[in-house]
Amino acid sequence: MSRLAKPSSLEDPTKDICPVCKSNRYLNPSLQFLINPECYHRMCSTCVDRIFTSGPASCPVPHCGKTLRKKGFHAAFFGDLKIEREVDVRKRVGKVFNRRQDEFETLLDWNNYLEEVEGLVFDIVEGSPKTRAQAEERLKQYREGNEAEIEENRLAALDETEQQRRREKSERDALRQRRLAELREEEEVKMDVAQSKREVLNRLANEDIDAETITKQAQKVILKKTSARRNLADQEASVRESLTIRGLKKKEAPVKEEPYDAFGGMNMEPTKYVLQHHYDHEWLDKTTSGPLHTVGGWDVHDYYARTMFEAFSGLGVFIEDEVADREPVSTAAGTVAATDRVAPKIKFKQKIKMESDDVF
Amino acid sequence: MANSPTITAPSPSFQSSLSHLKITLQPNGSSKSNSLPPSSIHSPAIFAHDLTEQLNEAEKAKYIKDRKVGEGTYANVYLGHLASNPSSLVAIKKIKIQADYKEGLAPDAVRELKFLQELSHPNIISLLSVYSSKGQNLNLVLEYLPLGDLEMMIKDHDIVYGTADMKAWMGMLCRAVYFCHANFVLHRDIKPNNLLIASDGSLKLADFGLARSFSNPGRPMTTNVITTWYRPPELFFGAKHYAGAVDVWSVGMVFAELILRAPYVWANSEIEQIAKICETLGTPTEENWPGVTRLPKYIVHEPVKPLISREEWMARLGAVGAVGVDLVVEMLTFDPRRRITAEGALRHGWWSVEPRPTALRELPRKREGGQERMGEDLKRRPGILDDEQGAKVARKLEFGGMK
Repeated sequence: MSRLAKPSSLEDPTKDICPVCKSNRYLNPSLQFLINPECYHRMCSTCVDRIFTSGPASCPVPHCGKTLRKKGFHAAFFGDLKIEREVDVRKRVGKVFNRRQDEFETLLDWNNYLEEVEGLVFDIVEGSPKTRAQAEERLKQYREGNEAEIEENRLAALDETEQQRRREKSERDALRQRRLAELREEEEVKMDVAQSKREVLNRLANEDIDAETITKQAQKVILKKTSARRNLADQEASVRESLTIRGLKKKEAPVKEEPYDAFGGMNMEPTKYVLQHHYDHEWLDKTTSGPLHTVGGWDVHDYYARTMFEAFSGLGVFIEDEVADREPVSTAAGTVAATDRVAPKIKFKQKIKMESDDVF
Repeated sequence: MANSPTITAPSPSFQSSLSHLKITLQPNGSSKSNSLPPSSIHSPAIFAHDLTEQLNEAEKAKYIKDRKVGEGTYANVYLGHLASNPSSLVAIKKIKIQADYKEGLAPDAVRELKFLQELSHPNIISLLSVYSSKGQNLNLVLEYLPLGDLEMMIKDHDIVYGTADMKAWMGMLCRAVYFCHANFVLHRDIKPNNLLIASDGSLKLADFGLARSFSNPGRPMTTNVITTWYRPPELFFGAKHYAGAVDVWSVGMVFAELILRAPYVWANSEIEQIAKICETLGTPTEENWPGVTRLPKYIVHEPVKPLISREEWMARLGAVGAVGVDLVVEMLTFDPRRRITAEGALRHGWWSVEPRPTALRELPRKREGGQERMGEDLKRRPGILDDEQGAKVARKLEFGGMK
């Protein structure tokens, strides 16, 4: 294991000195360094035995003074003790802050949570003694405040790993079964061929039919058997395939689809007036009664609708509201009212201003 | 460069343009003797004389042109982005000065501006901003639609689409047209290459260069609108008073084209086009369209062909099912008074029968070439204003590979 704590200077064993008893690897080739996560001071296993066998004692490194127990000592996994310490801190924090992404409503919330946890870890790992103490206090508070949830999440995580383990095991089993089945099959094929050969020989010896027909029949039988077996194998394979799908996401209840709304939520019905089928107007009736006016599709009802629409458009629209909606930066909004539509928000504007004439 | 902000050698016009700001420059104009900080000299506000110019400059400064993606006689199209956010892309359509319209703006630019400013709908291209550059060019800042247009989808035979996809596209198109009509705007140039596809897959109706509002009673409109293949018979017959039904015919033609993956009725000239319509769909007569013979340009070829039967419709366009064919038939009805309206189309039963329209993100889409395509589509002169140009527009459609 290359990642295991190796002495920093293997090539020069005299440099690898225990800070407590000053013995080095040159003098003691089996020298092993241990640390205690209380203070992460390195010392050799001999010193640990010597100092802590008789019970808790304070750390022998000058100015440390932490009370250590022998039970807490272990070999460092990483060569760099800072990393060792950070990993330990992460494990400790992770056990408390064990929320899962599906508990959060949005990705943003989840990311904010992760960032907060990361900040806490950073405070504990890198912070000054004061910030470290504060962070520890926060950790403790959170642990006390959320005991039930932490436990729940811990169990859920356990459950998940257990499921994962089971799935892997079943995959392994399936693989083994498949291999066995293949072996068995090969064996069967061999036996079949041997048996049919024997049969052919028997028939050739005892029966009174033409030798060629007998061999042909036998070949047909063999072919039939192999193809039948192959079909069976294919079927089994497809069944087996369904057992070994990896990386499946957890099932979600299918979202019930709304029926398709052809209008896409548009409602252009006038809200402020009721459109009549006919409006009495002498000039209008005279102008539009000619066949040339209607045969091309022009309809006076469109004109009624438009006139009413224009008469009422703008009512209930307040400039103050529009200005309040608008971002304060758009200074040129008067001339180019469209600038605040950069964001793709859907806004059905019903007001339409028309000049009366468009000669084209 | 008469008014370029050079400090070392101020020209007389430079001085005069600044005179009202009470900045005195030394006659020999050495930069050291100038008390004004150089940064303020370069600020455009000094040269913008009134409020509108300042507003225009401020608007212009919001967008940055990156590169040209299309150049035409009518407009140049640039890809650009917001100055404040380089990742938000826009298309900038810079309308060229046109020889025919020395005074003021070209009518198609005015139309486009007028209607796009007012219509805000998810299936209509949105106009983000307008400004002028160099005091003469109109720049329209439009939504960036990188995935090409519907014509590309129809013509690219590597793309496979089914009834559900067509239903989704047609649904979006009908919504856009209904929205226009409900706001009393006629688009008058609906065709597959004016239907652009946004990055989320949605269809956007573009090019309002021929749009106008519903006409007032007694006021004639031009019949020379809509690209020939998508133009309804009443326009060929010279009906000066028409309404939303003309757009619905175009929508029907687009629908048929989507199904066939080729234009349904197409010819090289207007005369041939009307002959072709009679040949393909039957002859418009007094029976199926009361009053049609009184239209000023009503000419049809003998012999009179009866309207095609339902079986024939089914044989041609049956891919969308019986209910779908129903909708096409109603959209391609000769009599504009009996033709289905955009609202009626949206109430049609086809939307609720199986298959359900494809969700936006699952619609087939083109991977490359969309940017250039958008450039192509936006630079095109909208529609046709006389015969010669009409012929040109039809030729530009490039269906050469079909013959």
